Amino acid sequence: MTQEINYTRYERARIVGARALQISRGAPPLIDVDTIDPVDVASEELDRGVLPITVRRGPS
Amino acid sequence: MSLEEHLDDSELPERLREKVRATAEERSLSDEEAVEVADAVYERYEQTRIDPLEPVGTVSAQSIGEPGTQMTMNTFHYAGVAEIDVTQGLPRLIELVDARKEPDTPMMTVYLEDEYAGDRDKAREVVWELEATDVLSIGDLSIDVADMQVAVDLDEEALEERQLSREEVAESIEEELDVSVDEESMSFGPDSPSYRELLQLVEELREVVFKGIDGVERVVIRKEEVEDGDEEYVLYTEGSKFKKALKVEGVDSTRTKTNNLHEMQKALGIEAARNTVVEEIVSTLGEQGLEVDIRHVMLVADAMTTTGDLQSIGRHGISGSKGSVLSRAAFEVTVNHLLDAAVHGEDDDLNGVTENVIVGQPIKIGTGDVELKVGRPGGD
Repeated sequence: MTQEINYTRYERARIVGARALQISRGAPPLIDVDTIDPVDVASEELDRGVLPITVRRGPS
Repeated sequence: MSLEEHLDDSELPERLREKVRATAEERSLSDEEAVEVADAVYERYEQTRIDPLEPVGTVSAQSIGEPGTQMTMNTFHYAGVAEIDVTQGLPRLIELVDARKEPDTPMMTVYLEDEYAGDRDKAREVVWELEATDVLSIGDLSIDVADMQVAVDLDEEALEERQLSREEVAESIEEELDVSVDEESMSFGPDSPSYRELLQLVEELREVVFKGIDGVERVVIRKEEVEDGDEEYVLYTEGSKFKKALKVEGVDSTRTKTNNLHEMQKALGIEAARNTVVEEIVSTLGEQGLEVDIRHVMLVADAMTTTGDLQSIGRHGISGSKGSVLSRAAFEVTVNHLLDAAVHGEDDDLNGVTENVIVGQPIKIGTGDVELKVGRPGGD
C-alpha cells in the first residue's frame, strides 16, 4: 500500500458517501463484514485502505 | 537531536516555537524531553487548525451573532473609567461593523511620554494642550447694550492654570472675530452700532477656541497601573482629533489611540485600523461578559480592511460590492439589483456560495468541493 493521507472530514465524508452509494446499489463489498449498513461497510473499507478511491487536491 | 534542529524541521509557527524554547529553558529540559514537548505542542496545534473547505465565514458570523443576541439593547455608559460617556453594547457593535465615519461618542486614550506620565502637573499641562478652552472657562461674558460693547471678565486663576496671557486672549479674539479689542477692559464691539451684530459677535465669541484642540471637549486624567506595578497618568478625552493630538508635546504617539476607525486609518494606516476594529469589537463584547474567539473577530476585521480602505459590512460595503449579481440580489433590494444587471448585461460566473445555492448546484465548500478520483491514496 502506498503512503497514507490524512483526509479532512469533508474528504472522508465524500469518499464514504460515494462508496456507500455503490454498495447500496449492489456493488460487492471489498471486505468481509457483519453489518449490512452500506455506510458502515464503506467506512470500514476506507479505514482498511482497500478502497481504490481517493481525492484530487490542489487547483484542478 | 537538539530542540533547535527539531523545531527547524517542524511546521510550528514562530510564536509557538518561542514558547517551547522558553518552557524548555525555564524547566531546564533535556533535549529528549524538549523534543517530546515540541511534538505534543505540534499535535495540539494541528488540532486547533481549521480544515480546508471549512466555511469559516459562516462559523464566524454565527459565533459573533449568537452572543450578540444576548447583548443588551440599551446604551450603557462607562461608570468606572473616568466618567466619560462611551457608547457601549449593541449600538457600538453596529457602529463598528458599519465603519461609521464618526462614532456616536468619539474618544481618545492618550498615553504620555515618560517625563509626563509620572508627574501630575506635567500631565495637566498636556491636558490644557488638548482640551479646547472656550470663553466661558476663562471668564464671564457681559453685554453692554447701551455702549454696544461685549466685555470678557477674565478669571486670572483660570488663565494662569492654562498658561494663557491676557494678550493671547485678546489676540485670539481679534483674529477670529475681526474686531479690535481693548486689552485693559477686554471689551470690544461691532464697527457700526447694530444690535444684531452685537449678538452675532457674542455667538461667535462662544465658538472661539483659545487653547487646546477644537473638538476635544473634555479631558480626564486617570492614574493607571502599568504591568510592572508602576503607575502612570493616562488621559481620556471626550471628542477625538487624533492627528492633532499626536503632535501635542508629551503625548506618546506610539500608544495613544482613538475609537474612531477612520481617524486611525488616516493617521496610522489600514493595519492600525484593522487592529482597532479587532480591539474595539473584542472589548465591546467583553464589556458585556461575552467571550468570542479573537479569530472570528479578526476575520471580520480582515474582511473590512482587505481593500486597503475601511469597508462597512452590509449593503453599502462588502455585501454591496460583491461581484455576483445573484449574490447581491439575494442580500437586499432584490429587484433593483436584477434590473440593473439586466440593463447593463452583467454576467455571473457562479463562483460564490449564494449563487450556486440559487441555481441549485453543489457549493464549493465542505464536501461540495472535494473531487474524487480512482486510485490509492498518495499514488497516481
